[in-house]
Amino acid sequence: MIAARRPADLQVALAHTIVGQHGVIEALLLALLSNGHVLLEGPPGLAKTLACRSLAAALEGEFKRIQFTPDLLPSDIVGTRIFDQRESAFATVLGPIFANVVLADEINRAPAKVQSALLEAMQERQVTIGPQSYALPDPFVVMATMNPLDSEGTYALPIAQMDRFLMKINVGYPSREEELQILDRFAVADTQPVRAVATLDDIRGWREQAHSVHIDDKLKRYIVDLVTITRHADDVSVRSQSGAALRAAELIDYGASPRATLALAFLARGRAMLDGRDFALPDDVRAVAGHALRHRIGFNYRLATDGVSADGVIDAMIATIPAP
Amino acid sequence: MAGRTAAALALSAVAVTATALSVSAQSLARLTVQSFVLSTDNPRPRLDVPFHLIVTLHVRERVTQIANLELPMLADLELLGDERETVSGTNGTQYRETITVVAHRAGPIAIAPATLQAIDARDGKPKQWYTNGLTLSLTGVSAPVLRHEAGEILGVLWRALRVLLWVLGIACLVAIVALLMRRRARRPGPPAPPMPESAPAPLQRSPREQVADALTVLRAERTRGAAIAVRGAVWRMLGASDGETLGDVLKRRQAFDPMLRDLLISLERSAFTYDDDLRGAIDDACSALQRYAESLP
Repeated sequence: MIAARRPADLQVALAHTIVGQHGVIEALLLALLSNGHVLLEGPPGLAKTLACRSLAAALEGEFKRIQFTPDLLPSDIVGTRIFDQRESAFATVLGPIFANVVLADEINRAPAKVQSALLEAMQERQVTIGPQSYALPDPFVVMATMNPLDSEGTYALPIAQMDRFLMKINVGYPSREEELQILDRFAVADTQPVRAVATLDDIRGWREQAHSVHIDDKLKRYIVDLVTITRHADDVSVRSQSGAALRAAELIDYGASPRATLALAFLARGRAMLDGRDFALPDDVRAVAGHALRHRIGFNYRLATDGVSADGVIDAMIATIPAP
Repeated sequence: MAGRTAAALALSAVAVTATALSVSAQSLARLTVQSFVLSTDNPRPRLDVPFHLIVTLHVRERVTQIANLELPMLADLELLGDERETVSGTNGTQYRETITVVAHRAGPIAIAPATLQAIDARDGKPKQWYTNGLTLSLTGVSAPVLRHEAGEILGVLWRALRVLLWVLGIACLVAIVALLMRRRARRPGPPAPPMPESAPAPLQRSPREQVADALTVLRAERTRGAAIAVRGAVWRMLGASDGETLGDVLKRRQAFDPMLRDLLISLERSAFTYDDDLRGAIDDACSALQRYAESLP
């Protein structure tokens, strides 16, 4: 049963506002359909905020943006209790995390306890302030960004924390043609407002449908094989910057967790649904494998010293496993 | 029936026979057999001249050795050597066994298929795979026979020459030579070697026939297994391997044909859809196969 409004409508609506960045748009929709969160790594100015704001507008939801800074406190995110002198009682003020789409900008600029507050809220989908717990809105998707260019004064996210993100997307610069389109579209007017094409109820319905997308047993084994190879990559060969052959296992301290297996299945289902199918294909798994594995593999220092890219190693591992 | 036979030939990868296995299933390796072929480097070998039989096996898994591979009985051939090579790579493992043999008897020799027993990694069941068989035509006569006949002929010639020398003398040398030439011309040659029987011509199936065969198979057996086998056969027709994805195959130039794209997509659906949708998916795949077969020359 496909609802009258389809997730692809949302994709089209966002594409009308955002030039290029198809990966970011698809990632946002996959996160919505899979009830997960996205970690974006890329330089500033690549329409990350616009994408989040547009998504919230397209589904008549609420959007909040939190700029992470070194002096941020957990209460700045989740909320706090303040004493109301007129009432002579404590009142709870909910933080900006209470929104359907939350952009956590430069998450690695805040200290660990603030990161933890956000990541716990992401995981539990509720926040406890004082004696009372408050459920976060549904749907609730966090899009956290990290700037790879400026690492001074940042607090790196531990792998265990990053594991809570469903996927990590590397955002790249637009192509020349896309940049020309950006110039034409935004030089004379401000951002085109996105019209609402779905409701929050639609999202909840789509999520249930995505959950029932069929994954064949062959595909399940393929998913497990893809995750397992990250832990035993002795037979995977990659080339260093100097052209020398390296075993991928030499570059990896630890492989992806079982959470990656679940994430791959969720994302493959979501992608199948975006494509209008109620069954997943090997192409769905392969398309999302990098997103689900990228932040879950512990690479060691040799990755940098040998001049190998993490995505290059992941691609080599994916290529090792034949699709069913 | 003939169509089914042809279909089975066209889909050699499907030629998997689930038989009662002599080896306990627990001791079998778990393999995804992609090809298993018996070939020779000389389809028309000569007597007493060594030639090679080659067993080639390609499996998707990376393994260091292949167990439970039985070579055919070579009763009419003398075994001179056996060399095995296992190469593992990103596309799986290529196993090649080269058997050096020699024949001492002329005529056709039928070589039975080699067999492999393993757990089929696709469905987890123990199975036995067979290669194709070979029929070789041994031509020529053996070297000792040739040497023996040549010695006899030389003896006759020498005796004739001595008689002529005595009778006609040295002055008749030219006549003797002429006489020798005439005698040589009249002399019956060594027995003619048996006419080589022509090797059976390989079965050449046109793409249209192969697609029609695949359609026959899928119509006869409307199962997911048959759909996967047909999918593999169509992919191989396009030069793709089983380890690729539909996206990879659709990027191939041949797959730009809209009918072929429809066929590939419908076969992919048959391979991965849920059970309740399988019947409809196979119906669609059959229709797509028929349309594509009709579009081929």
